[in-house]
Amino acid sequence: MLILQQLVNGLMLGSVYVMVAVAFTLTIGMLNFLNFTIPALFMVAAMITWAATAAGFHWLVAAAFGMIVAILASLVIERFTYRYMKAKYGDATEHALPLVSSLGFLIIFEHVVIMIWGTDPMTFNSPFAHAKFEISGIIFGIPQLISLALSIILVFGLSLLLKKTQLGRALRSIAEKPDTATLMGVDVGKIVPVVFVMTGFLCALAGILFTVNYQHVSPYIGDHVATNAIAGMVIGGLGNIWGAIAGGLLIGMVEVLSIHFWGADIIKVPVWSLMLIILVFRPAGLFGHTQIGKGKF
Amino acid sequence: MSAYMTGIIIILCLNIIIAYSVFLPAAAGQLNLGAAGFMIIGAYTDAYLSSADEGLGLPIALTIPVAALFTGLVGFLMSFPILRTRGVYMILATFAFAEIVAGIVLNMEIVGGASGFPVTTHTELEVLLPVTVVVVLFGFYLISTRFGLSMRSIHDDENVSLLFGVNTHLVKVGAFTIGAFLGGLAGALYGHQFDYIEVQNWGILFSIYVLLYVLIGGTQTPWGPLVGAMFFTFIPEILRAIGDATGIELFTELRFAAFGVIIVGMMVLRPEGIMTRTFLELLFRKSIPKSNIKLS
Amino acid sequence: MSNVLNLTSVEKSFGGLKVIDNVSFNVKKGSRTALIGPNGAGKTTIFNLLSGIYEVDSGNISLDNNDITQIPARKRINIGMSRSFQNIRLMPHLSTIENVMLGQHHLANSARENFFPLGLIKTNKWAKLAEQSLIEAGLDTYPGQVVSELPYGVQKRIEVVRALVSNPKLLLLDEPAAGLNSTETKELQILLEKASSSGTTLLVVEHDMNFVRNLCQHVVVLNFGRKIFEGTPDEVSRDPQVLEAYLGGNDNNAS
Repeated sequence: MLILQQLVNGLMLGSVYVMVAVAFTLTIGMLNFLNFTIPALFMVAAMITWAATAAGFHWLVAAAFGMIVAILASLVIERFTYRYMKAKYGDATEHALPLVSSLGFLIIFEHVVIMIWGTDPMTFNSPFAHAKFEISGIIFGIPQLISLALSIILVFGLSLLLKKTQLGRALRSIAEKPDTATLMGVDVGKIVPVVFVMTGFLCALAGILFTVNYQHVSPYIGDHVATNAIAGMVIGGLGNIWGAIAGGLLIGMVEVLSIHFWGADIIKVPVWSLMLIILVFRPAGLFGHTQIGKGKF
Repeated sequence: MSAYMTGIIIILCLNIIIAYSVFLPAAAGQLNLGAAGFMIIGAYTDAYLSSADEGLGLPIALTIPVAALFTGLVGFLMSFPILRTRGVYMILATFAFAEIVAGIVLNMEIVGGASGFPVTTHTELEVLLPVTVVVVLFGFYLISTRFGLSMRSIHDDENVSLLFGVNTHLVKVGAFTIGAFLGGLAGALYGHQFDYIEVQNWGILFSIYVLLYVLIGGTQTPWGPLVGAMFFTFIPEILRAIGDATGIELFTELRFAAFGVIIVGMMVLRPEGIMTRTFLELLFRKSIPKSNIKLS
Repeated sequence: MSNVLNLTSVEKSFGGLKVIDNVSFNVKKGSRTALIGPNGAGKTTIFNLLSGIYEVDSGNISLDNNDITQIPARKRINIGMSRSFQNIRLMPHLSTIENVMLGQHHLANSARENFFPLGLIKTNKWAKLAEQSLIEAGLDTYPGQVVSELPYGVQKRIEVVRALVSNPKLLLLDEPAAGLNSTETKELQILLEKASSSGTTLLVVEHDMNFVRNLCQHVVVLNFGRKIFEGTPDEVSRDPQVLEAYLGGNDNNAS
């Protein structure tokens, strides 16, 4: 029963990783860009939600603030990483520039947040702290359940969007061949920001749900979540959305179970060894789906 | 020399050595986000061999080179799987490597696990400074050789280098291995400066910063890591000094955020790093090009 | 005169599409041979097969009567084959002289040469050799200049010099005159004639028929991956099949 409880908890935690892993995999798949601002967007949304709630706003209003700031920030990042390099060099992936700029933004966001609120972890008074129910001894937190459902629905919607809509086709054509996409009349300059809006949205939602579920925030929460999300993405294969879902959930469960049985540190070695083996010998991920995008730097 | 200045020079020296560690593979076009891994291996090997209390108590004249050589060996062995990957995959693979190293050390009770490990032999700058000078000179020497030329050719165009007979795989393995050796050296020296090592010092953020030293400094010339490490060591201190001098707290508080702004700005203004070939030519140009070049 | 290069029934397909179909021809030692054909005829593919970037599906290639079909790309420079590229493939961040030194690589590939500080002791023999070949090519510009800043025509010729300094028996030139103005083309021709007179065999892919007529004695014509004609430049320009191929090729491109 205890194991079952841990599995449920792992699934809940994994749903947060899923959203962040999908954000990573989208930018890599579409734009061939490892976006290191993702942990910052996650953290900024979480911190703003906490701060606005602490300032007396309703938590929903606070979450909306967090969401809007993260999406706007993501658009600013687009302008200075991908868009600028693209305009100047034709192919933004030629250089490590977007990567370096995104690291720059990561530093900016973390330190601005530290400057305003300090480095101490803060407690978030969740309105749902006691909203939970029990089925034969296993406790389900309602917000956790909601976030699991949300993340599955969202990602399902996202993949539908990519498959069925005009926008999705445009996005996929950019992922395949940016030059041809331009020739076919896709306005790359207008479509690429959409990827960044999605990134901002997914990270912010993940950040807000994490805050609501686990009731604490700090300027460093993004790093841990992003590291695990990257692991999830690698397991699923870079650029593979369904792979990122499976990978994210798997990592969540492995983390929770291993903390329960062995403590937090020991699990690092097998997980990251697996990661390295996948990257080297099976770069398409464990599930062997075809990837979107060219997946090279 | 004030303790404050000594402190900055110590950090600068360590930053320079670790920057060359990441620079060498980067000069051959391989981005390494695993500097922390090499640093940890070097630091813990040296600490275990040299510590009087919990280690073997060997002299540092032996332990520092052995630690660096051992890290080089690990780097050599790891280079075969890691160099199979490219681009974003290589960044993630080196990052995974660093996480594995951190994970292993955290679980090794013999070196104190998560609580860290004391280093009993303390040195001042008398070891660190000369070693740093030698590392910098070595960086300049290596880049000036045909081996260095091969590295830079691979950076620009691996396939064409291959067609001109360059053993591209061997060169990449060599650059990565020497880089690992220097990373281990930096780790070993770190312990003797700060007397205590713990894995938590060398996380993802550390590896990110070292990669930034190199990419902001520039990968085209051996000046890059030197200037990059100086830039990253001095800018925060300068911002702090401005804050102290003007009494504007904002400077002191903003200095790391300002730093991020500078990085983004640098990428806009000098996307290939501070020290590029053309920039050096402007600095050191001796003669004006003869103009039998006809502009087409 | 013996042959330096023999292609015997060489075939290559990409994804079921036969791009090189049973191609055989010989290149005489010391000759200046051109390989021409409309776009997509397979000229660059032949070059990539020769330099070992692609492996042949069947048939074989021999250099100086030694079968080299199985020799990996990296080793082909050692047996005397060197090339230039259709789009300039100089190392953009290296200086002119360093690019030329890369061409010397297989001559200097011992441990001692690999770790000699070329860049610190500037008066070494490799630098002198490289400088000498640049002067001979009329490219005695500032040798330390990073090549990405040089004009297109100059880069194009530096690429030829880089291939030449490896002392090849056979020099493969992929559209060396493309994009050059008439003066630069003239200078390139002089450079290539000089190389030829010192014994290097030239195999040139080129669109500019005037250039081919001025430089080469022998022409091989490809169309849709097949050899359709072989002869002197004059014969080629009179041959109805070749004219047909070029006109027909254009029609195909348009449709």
